[in-house]
Amino acid sequence: MQSILNPGGIPFWRNVVFIQWAIQIVSAVVVIAIVSGFIVNVATEIHDRAIPFGFSFLDESAQIPIGESLIDHESSDSYLFGFAVAALNTVKASVFGVILATLLGIVIGVSRLSRNWILSRLALVYIETFRNIPLLIQLLFWFLIVLELPNVREGYIYFDAVYLNNSGLYLPWVSPMGGFWPWAILSFVGIVGAVYAFKYLAKREIETGQPSYPIIAGFAIFFVLTIVGLIIFSPLEIVIPERQEGPFGRLQGGARLTGSFFALLLGLVVYTSAFIAEIVRAGIQSVSRGQTEAARSLGLNTNAGLRYVIFPQAMRVIIPPLISQYLNLTKNSSLAAAIGYPDLVSVTSTMVQIAPAISLIGMVMVTYLAMSLFYSAVGNIYNRLTKYAGVG
Amino acid sequence: MKPAKTRIRQTAAARTFAAAFAVVVATALTLIACTSNTGANQVAVERAQATAEAAVIDRNNAIAERDDAVARAEIAEASTNRLKTIQDRGTLVCATGNDTPGFYFLDEEGNTIGFDVDLCRAVAAAVLGNADAIDYRFIDLSARGPALQSGEIDLLNMTTTWTSTRDINWGNFAPVMFYDGQGFMTTKSLGIESATELDNAAVCVTAGTTSELNLADFSRQHNLNIQPTVFEQDDTTVSAYHAGQCDAITTDRSIFTAYIEEFDNPDEHLVLPDIISEEPLTPLVPHGDDAWFDIVKIVMAGIIYAEAYGVDSDNVDAMADSENIKVKRLLGAEGDFGQEVIGLDKSFMVDVIKQVGNYGEIYERNLGSEGIGLPREGRNDLWLNGGQIYAPPLR
Repeated sequence: MQSILNPGGIPFWRNVVFIQWAIQIVSAVVVIAIVSGFIVNVATEIHDRAIPFGFSFLDESAQIPIGESLIDHESSDSYLFGFAVAALNTVKASVFGVILATLLGIVIGVSRLSRNWILSRLALVYIETFRNIPLLIQLLFWFLIVLELPNVREGYIYFDAVYLNNSGLYLPWVSPMGGFWPWAILSFVGIVGAVYAFKYLAKREIETGQPSYPIIAGFAIFFVLTIVGLIIFSPLEIVIPERQEGPFGRLQGGARLTGSFFALLLGLVVYTSAFIAEIVRAGIQSVSRGQTEAARSLGLNTNAGLRYVIFPQAMRVIIPPLISQYLNLTKNSSLAAAIGYPDLVSVTSTMVQIAPAISLIGMVMVTYLAMSLFYSAVGNIYNRLTKYAGVG
Repeated sequence: MKPAKTRIRQTAAARTFAAAFAVVVATALTLIACTSNTGANQVAVERAQATAEAAVIDRNNAIAERDDAVARAEIAEASTNRLKTIQDRGTLVCATGNDTPGFYFLDEEGNTIGFDVDLCRAVAAAVLGNADAIDYRFIDLSARGPALQSGEIDLLNMTTTWTSTRDINWGNFAPVMFYDGQGFMTTKSLGIESATELDNAAVCVTAGTTSELNLADFSRQHNLNIQPTVFEQDDTTVSAYHAGQCDAITTDRSIFTAYIEEFDNPDEHLVLPDIISEEPLTPLVPHGDDAWFDIVKIVMAGIIYAEAYGVDSDNVDAMADSENIKVKRLLGAEGDFGQEVIGLDKSFMVDVIKQVGNYGEIYERNLGSEGIGLPREGRNDLWLNGGQIYAPPLR
């Protein structure tokens, strides 16, 4: 006798379809219960304790100081603008940190596998030291070293243009003039041309075995176009740091890497590169030794073997954990407040004095989430492009 | 192996059933949620009524009606009774810091000492009879507001300036215990004499303080291009200033005295004469418990009047026999000023003065000649001597 509870004579609790549905429903209920529990708790506490909450404050003048910013900021600007300035500071630390940590990490990771005993041992010491000391301690360490430099009035001066002191590193920099955009477009054309030339020549070199110098050709195309542009359009003006009038002798103009930012960047790069080095090492070692031997027997030298045979295969292993290191670096940059770099967390902790804490912390969380999702998305796209065709 | 058709039918039936099951579960959950919500609402209404009743009934009447054990339990349940919570817990949760000499820092033995710490100790002595029964929470200055709003701490004593926004958002401020004003310290070699000369200077400041906000106001007001460098913790701010990363440091002026004492080159620093803000430093308690707020105010008034009446930790026992009626009332030997109604011992001030001392003793020990050497003149003297340290009379 078949019934809805007993289709096909199998008891419903042993029916695979039923079990799967039941698990889905139970999990959904549990998740919803926990999340709504949190929300209800926050809402109740906000109400009972009269904790300020809302977003109307964002348009008001924040009247807080921010020490350094990528875009001009005044203390009378709104909360929202101050928040954006702080978020940009975090992005700045994150982007520079990610690029430098990746480069340094690859160098150390490859050195770790070097047949040169001293080099591989040094890389090992580097990795084990910096990976195993808490980041906050490292940041304070670098910051105290920066503080040991002489002050801005007594600091080092090189070529009357580069200043190094405990307020930061001041470099000559360029500021755009009239012909900037035509020059920028020409340089962009140079980059595209260089990439295509590199690809074409590299392919030719592999197929024919004729030395075609793809790297040299690529750079040549880029530099020729850029320099020709510089001569024709005169798009840039060189700005050299200068001392301000008055007793303090602070410097203005040019590019400034503040002491705090320098210490933060150094701390993040050194710490994260130690992890990236291990990821790179693991990635390379995951490629079977036979691949190296095959490359060798095809007549590729060590560098070519690494570049054309080993790395393309290692990248598939390296990318996912590498992305999570990028996310870690971005989130770790929130320790900046300890050493005086006005990142997102530092600035919002000032705002919390006068603005609703829960709203601001919520905004900070969403901002970090957005940054992390962006890195993940980029990583996933790259991952999809490089995975084996027809697998997974 | 069953024929494919049967399997399909069977799957379809199971799916129908699963869907039906899902609907039933969802309905049941919704019902449970609604009923429990109603239940919660009813409880909330009942609690609100109980609170309102408790508030309407005069406190003395409430005590008289205490013989009904059930009613008493309900009243205790209905109001957030922080005093009872503290006494049951046996410790006072006091939020303070440990990095500002004079106000709150660690001595060589690792004890937390300081002016603000002693105010916490006075309250602990009053409500628990033991000045050491304190659970210290060392927090960052920028965490003060959220810490109070969460209601997790009983008392916050951390060089906190009483401002209107904080009064509205953070908690209730007891009497002002120290009058300060924000200033600047700089190195003598720079040769500046006024804060208005700080154009193009880098100034170190700690995050989450009124100093930070006042600095922004000051530089805007006087059209000065001041580059602020904001640190999370006081000791980093001071290190950065001392290393010369900043040309000046700004905070409450009294704290500079403590900083200079710690420097290896105290003679090279100069506190500028400008006072750019009003900084009344005040203990504060979380919102929502009027009785607890009253207790803290009474204890603060008690230590101020103890100094005014000449009662100190040495003579407190002898003073109980004093001829002075006000002294007798203060020490609980005669009359009362509401201490029992609010839930304290009649003679709680004896414990406070014996264990912690009066205002003058607390000041001298931490900020005065025995502490960081800040002369007690002007506003921080008693009103009797022309100062501003004053409290509502105890009677």
